[in-house]
Amino acid sequence: MNAWLLATAVLLTLGMPPCVWAAGRGTAVERLAGLNLATALVTAVLLLTAQGLGRSSFTDVALVLAVLGPAGTLVFTRFLGGRSMEAPDTTARGKA
Amino acid sequence: MTVRHVCALVLLVAGTGVLLLSALSLTALARPFARLHALTPATTAGVPLVALALAVETGPGRAAVKLLLIAVIVAFGGAVTAMAIGRATAQHEGLLREDSSQ
Repeated sequence: MNAWLLATAVLLTLGMPPCVWAAGRGTAVERLAGLNLATALVTAVLLLTAQGLGRSSFTDVALVLAVLGPAGTLVFTRFLGGRSMEAPDTTARGKA
Repeated sequence: MTVRHVCALVLLVAGTGVLLLSALSLTALARPFARLHALTPATTAGVPLVALALAVETGPGRAAVKLLLIAVIVAFGGAVTAMAIGRATAQHEGLLREDSSQ
């Protein structure tokens, strides 16, 4: 095991559980933080795996995730923005 | 072990440390706005440091340019998503109106 695979193992065992924990509890908006950090972690893990295993094609997967991850988070924030579970939006949308 | 490999290992340890600290602080910070402070170091420092370590290890060439491009994309996307999550959190807590342009 080289240093790159060791860093991958450390990130997956110590870094990923807090992200899963944060993405699995709380309201929908509070879960976004865990989702976003998990995306960044997986991007780093894919880059390190590509170097550790000597497979450069894995870098392309990291590139796709780096592009699509923030886009997915932006879509989630767009749909979740302004919606509150405690005080649901009471403005009459169907009147107009 | 060459100087370049040592530099790459130092950058790798720094990047991995930042990523781990961000992940652990996500559990320590309970308030929604405080969690944003855990997101931004990971995307603007952690992943770019790891990508820079890999680029230093790879050496000059197309592969290093691709790694640096990934670092820039992650840093830019992380900043944008942090702002978007902060805005959604503010709207969720009633600090910002849903139809606000700010």
